[in-house]
Amino acid sequence: MVTTSIAVENVTVAYHDRVALYRASLAIRSGTICGLVGMNGAGKSTLLKAIMGFVRPLEGRVLVQGLPVGAAQKRNLIAYVPQAEEVDWQFPVTVFDVVMMGRYGRMNWLRLPSKVDYTLVQTALTEVEMGKLQDRPIAELSGGQRKRAFLARALAQQAQIFLLDEPFAAVDITTEKLIIDRLLQLRQAGHTVLVSTHDLSSIKTFCDQVVLINRSILAYGDVETVFTPENLCRTFGNHFCQYQEGK
Amino acid sequence: MFWQWLTAPWQYEFMVRAILLSVVVGLVCGALSCYMVLRGWALMGDAISHAVLPGVILAHVLNLPLALGAFVFGVGSVLTIGFVESQTRIKEDTVIGIVFTGFFALGLVLLSKVKSTIDLTHILFGNVLGISNTDIYQTVISSVVTLTILFLRQRDFLLFCFDPTHARSIGINTNLFHYLLLSLLSLTAVAGLQAVGIILVVAMLITPGATAYLLTDRFDRMLGLAMGLGAAAAIVGNYVSFYLDVATGGCIVLVQTLLFGLAVFFAPKHGILARKFWAKIDL
Repeated sequence: MVTTSIAVENVTVAYHDRVALYRASLAIRSGTICGLVGMNGAGKSTLLKAIMGFVRPLEGRVLVQGLPVGAAQKRNLIAYVPQAEEVDWQFPVTVFDVVMMGRYGRMNWLRLPSKVDYTLVQTALTEVEMGKLQDRPIAELSGGQRKRAFLARALAQQAQIFLLDEPFAAVDITTEKLIIDRLLQLRQAGHTVLVSTHDLSSIKTFCDQVVLINRSILAYGDVETVFTPENLCRTFGNHFCQYQEGK
Repeated sequence: MFWQWLTAPWQYEFMVRAILLSVVVGLVCGALSCYMVLRGWALMGDAISHAVLPGVILAHVLNLPLALGAFVFGVGSVLTIGFVESQTRIKEDTVIGIVFTGFFALGLVLLSKVKSTIDLTHILFGNVLGISNTDIYQTVISSVVTLTILFLRQRDFLLFCFDPTHARSIGINTNLFHYLLLSLLSLTAVAGLQAVGIILVVAMLITPGATAYLLTDRFDRMLGLAMGLGAAAAIVGNYVSFYLDVATGGCIVLVQTLLFGLAVFFAPKHGILARKFWAKIDL
């Protein structure tokens, strides 16, 4: 049975008078990895934020596992991995503390971690190969290590759905490969993954579906049918087309 | 000799009250200052501590707890700031500057109407040596309430300051913690007002946290250090004030500033000297 994990229905988002996303509709199937591709400012982050309910759409609605997003968040259904620049990395917390924050939604209101919480945090740290750095202040992490710490926090959350905003931006090849491996593992376990990226070369290696976006959704579907030079040309504009023809 | 020096202030009841009250205020302001510093709310702390003035005066006139009046006007100023900022093109720091000076001016005008009962200098510069029993009870109660809430919800406040986006994504109501923190700030501003006066409260609400932030990379240690620094500065400030016969509030804040200055230069990892030292080693 094919079920829809994330349904975006006719969503328009504007910041003040600038439309960032126009009438976007998507239905992302459970247990798949979907890549979100577009230029800077094309609305990738806006789409993710609209799904998370961080920006309020002018029209349209979003359903996650059939629920409004607020209800889905209360049930810890969604893990969101933001762009690394969005937090203050001079904050006085350790890697372990950050990953434990993934468990807060599962704890009681005093947020006292149980044995299960500790175990899951350790497992998540091991999965991103950050076990040895767990007591390190986050101020001392490199760019790739920051992404890994955030990914570990999402893994520890044990959500159904994972949204990742530019996880491959400014990371080394080892970290990129590690992140892709974890995403494939998540799909294996039946989770749904939506990941925005600039890295066109890796899309075919791990994505099932792809969304091409430039203010509105240009194309959406299986990688083989949608991820074509013609469509990419429409997504990235003339410069990209000429580059491809030259190649 | 030294023992005598140390115990002499405790023979006066007004000194005992002054020291105990300023220690309580030092502890609660110290705890709150960590969140102010990490959230980047220094200006907001300044604004709220000034904006509570009309509330304090009205509460005094109506014979209500001062904390209640301060709470209403503190939160009122924050709501006003948020409203103007969201509805106009004016930037936040401008709005804060306008709103808090406006509230403060309203306070001054009200004060001139009820001059006979409240002394302006006590409000502006603190009056810890002549504080009444009622004021002590109110301060202790609001401090205990604030510290209890801060400690019970410590992790939520920390997450709210560090990564509000993640907090929202796991279903935490960040608006609640935003206004809860601002409410605690209003309550604490009144407590601090009685110790060091309205003008210097903001120092109590940011300096200990900033000093502690230079000294450690762990939040729980930062919290402990800031509270310790707040309390220590309260004690030392009272002694200095007692022996040199100078303003108590000023002394407490000066000690805090001095400690911050020391940390700027000598903090083990984030101090200027340590940075120079490590830069050399790296070469």
